[in-house]
Amino acid sequence: MAVHESDICIIGGGITSAMLAERLCELRPGVSIIVVEAGRSIFDVANRGRYRERAIAYNEHPWPDDYIEDQQGKGTISMTMAVGGLALHWGGACNRFSEEDLRLKSMYGLAVDWPIEWAELERYYCEAERRLNVSGEPSPHPEDRRTQPYPQAPIPLSYNLQILKKWAEQSGLPFSPLPMARNLSPFGGRGSCCVYDTCGEVCPSGARYSPDFTFRQLIQPKKIVLHDRTLVRRLAVHDTRSTIVAAHGVHQDRPNDPIEYRAKTFVVASGYCWSSHLLLLSSTPRFPNGVANSSGLVGRYMNGHRFINATANIDDQTFPGQNMTHSLISRQFFRCAADKPFVRHDTRVWESSAGRDPRLRGAEGRLLLGDELMADWRSRTKGSSVRLRAYVDVHPSVDSRLTLDASNKNRYGDPMPKIEHRFDDATLARQAATKAHVLGVFATMAKASNGRIVNTGEGDYLDHPGGGCRMGTDPKTSVVDSYGRTHDHENLFVVGAPTTPTGGCTNGTLTFVALTLRSAERIARA
Amino acid sequence: MKRRTLLQWAGALAAVVPFDRFRVFAQPRDLTPEAVATLRDVARTVLPTELGATGVDALVDKLVAWTRGYKEGVATAHGYGHPRLQKTGPSPIPMYIAQLAALADEARAKGAAWSMLDPEARRAILDAAFTKAGVRGLPPRPTGQHVVADLMALYFRSSEANDDCYKAMINREVCRPIAITTRRPEPKGAA
Repeated sequence: MAVHESDICIIGGGITSAMLAERLCELRPGVSIIVVEAGRSIFDVANRGRYRERAIAYNEHPWPDDYIEDQQGKGTISMTMAVGGLALHWGGACNRFSEEDLRLKSMYGLAVDWPIEWAELERYYCEAERRLNVSGEPSPHPEDRRTQPYPQAPIPLSYNLQILKKWAEQSGLPFSPLPMARNLSPFGGRGSCCVYDTCGEVCPSGARYSPDFTFRQLIQPKKIVLHDRTLVRRLAVHDTRSTIVAAHGVHQDRPNDPIEYRAKTFVVASGYCWSSHLLLLSSTPRFPNGVANSSGLVGRYMNGHRFINATANIDDQTFPGQNMTHSLISRQFFRCAADKPFVRHDTRVWESSAGRDPRLRGAEGRLLLGDELMADWRSRTKGSSVRLRAYVDVHPSVDSRLTLDASNKNRYGDPMPKIEHRFDDATLARQAATKAHVLGVFATMAKASNGRIVNTGEGDYLDHPGGGCRMGTDPKTSVVDSYGRTHDHENLFVVGAPTTPTGGCTNGTLTFVALTLRSAERIARA
Repeated sequence: MKRRTLLQWAGALAAVVPFDRFRVFAQPRDLTPEAVATLRDVARTVLPTELGATGVDALVDKLVAWTRGYKEGVATAHGYGHPRLQKTGPSPIPMYIAQLAALADEARAKGAAWSMLDPEARRAILDAAFTKAGVRGLPPRPTGQHVVADLMALYFRSSEANDDCYKAMINREVCRPIAITTRRPEPKGAA
C-alpha cells in the first residue's frame, strides 16, 4: 500500500479546494498539502479554443473526459468530475447572498439561522471577489453596502442590455450588471474577456475564472501536491479517539493497490454531493451511520433554489448575439417585510432570440427553403425577445436527502449517491403564492414597450445545490460548526456548499468560496 | 513468393473471411464526387440567393470539411440539471451519400435533373426526404440526420447568417473587444 503523509489533506479538487489550498499556502507558508481528486487534470488551456470550436460544430463536450462513467449519482446537476470541478464550466456569476439568508429564523420564523454574522461573512465576500477578480457594480440597495469596492468595474453593458435595462426599470425595479468572475484585463495568469460568449461551456482566454489556473499556479512551485485520478473511498477514524487518521483511496490505473493518506487535518471539499457521500460511505461498526454523523444529519437538508422562467416580447429593437452570457440582476426582492407573506427571489434579464430563430417550417407547416426561410426569419426579428428568470428561496426539510443507492454501484462496489430534494411545510404552503408573485413581477415588467409575456416555465431541479453537512452551533442539529469543523471529529472539516443550511435566492458559488476562505483561517490554525 | 501464388492465397482468403463483419473498412471516408455535385445543385434551392454562387459553393465545401472532421464515439455535451452521457454516432457520410443519391433519383423520376425541376417539385421531394429522416425542425447544427437539413443548419445557425438576417455586424460568438458590444451593431456592408 502506498502511503502519503501531509499536514493537510484536501479531498476534492473544485473551486473551494483551489481557494482553500491557495489561502492555506499564504497563511502557513511551507505547510504540506496534498489535494486528492477523483477526476483527471485538464491543464491544456492552449487547446480550449479548439475544444470550443468542436463543441459548436459537433456538440462535443468541451472538457474531454471530465467525467467518470461509473462514478455518477442520481439527482446531480452535472457529470463533471475533474480538477476544477463544476467551476470548469460555470457561467462565472458572483452574486452575494443577503443578510436575510443568514437570519431566516429570527427575521421570519423560517428554516434556521446561519451561525455567522453578516458583517463577518461580508469581509470574506470581499476576499472571494478579490481572488476571483469579480467585475461588478455596487447594488443600489443600502442594505447591500460593501466594505470594499469590487476589484473590477462592471462588465460593460452590451447595447442590447442597455436597451433592456431601460425597459426593465420602467417597472420600478432597479437593475445592475450581473457581477461576474470575468477578467476585463489580464489577471492571475488569465487573459481578458473577448466575448467568445461560451462562458458556461469553456472560456478560451481564461477570462472567466476556473480553478485549474489556481491549481497549476500552486503545483508548479511545489506549494501543494495534487493527486488526480485518485478516488478517496473511505475516511478512517482512530481506534479509540475521534480523530481521523487516514483517507483510503485508489488510483484509476492501479485499482488493486490501495493508497493511504495520513494527515494532521483532513478537509472534505468535494461539493454538495460527494462530501456527504464520502462521510456516509465511511461507516464502520463503531460509526454505523458514517463519520461525522452522530446527529444523523449527514446527507440531510439538501438545498438549492427553484427557478421560474419567462419570455417576454417587447417592441424595443435589440440584436441577439451581442453578449448572451451577460445579464442584469435586480435584488429588489432579496428582502421581504416581516409582516408580509414571505417571498424572496432575484430577478434576472438576458437578451434572447427565443421565437425569433430561423425555422424550417412556416406557421402553416409549409417547408421553407432558401430565400423564403430568410424572409420568414427577417419578418420575425422586429422587436425583441427577453429572457426572464427568478431564483426563488425555498427551504429544505430534514427529508431532503442524499442517500447511498445500493442499486447503483461503481467499479469498486461502492453505492453511489442518490439525491431527492424535499421542501419544508412552510415552503410547500407558500409555493402557489410565490409563483403568483414572481409571475406578477414579470407581467409588470412586460408592460413597458408594449410588452407581453409569451411563455412561462419552472425548473424541474434545484439549481446551485448545497447542504448535506449543514453548519450550526448545536451538534444535535448540525454536522459542522460555522468554520466547517465537524462536531464529531476535531481534525475533520467540510467546506463550501455542503455546509450551507439553506440555498439562498441567487447563485451560490461566491458564498461557497467566501465560507471556505473563512474556514481556511481556522484550518490553518488546526 | 510467385505473383500467381499470392493471388491464389488472396482468393482463398477472400472466400473464407467474413468481410461483412468488417464493414467499417468498406465505409466511404469522403463524400463521392457525384454526391457533392448533387449537394451543390440542391444547395442553390435551400440557401438564400443573396449568398451568390460563390457563397453557396463555399458552404457546400464547409459541410464537406465538416464531414471530414467528424469523430465517432466522442462524448457530447452532458447537459446541466439532468446530465446524461451520450456519444457521437457513426460517420454520417454513408447516409449522406445515400440521401443525395435518393434525391437525384427522385428528380430523375420526375423526368428532369434537380436544377430543372420546378420549385414546388423540389420542395415536395425535400419535404418527403426530411419526413423520412425524422427532421422536424432546423437542426441546431449539422447532426447527421439529413444532409440537406444539415447544410441549411450550417448556414442558418451561423453567426454570418445572424448578421445577414439582421443586416448588422453582430458577430455572435466571434472573439472581439468587449467595448464593441456596447454600441449598436454597424449595418452589414457599411464602409
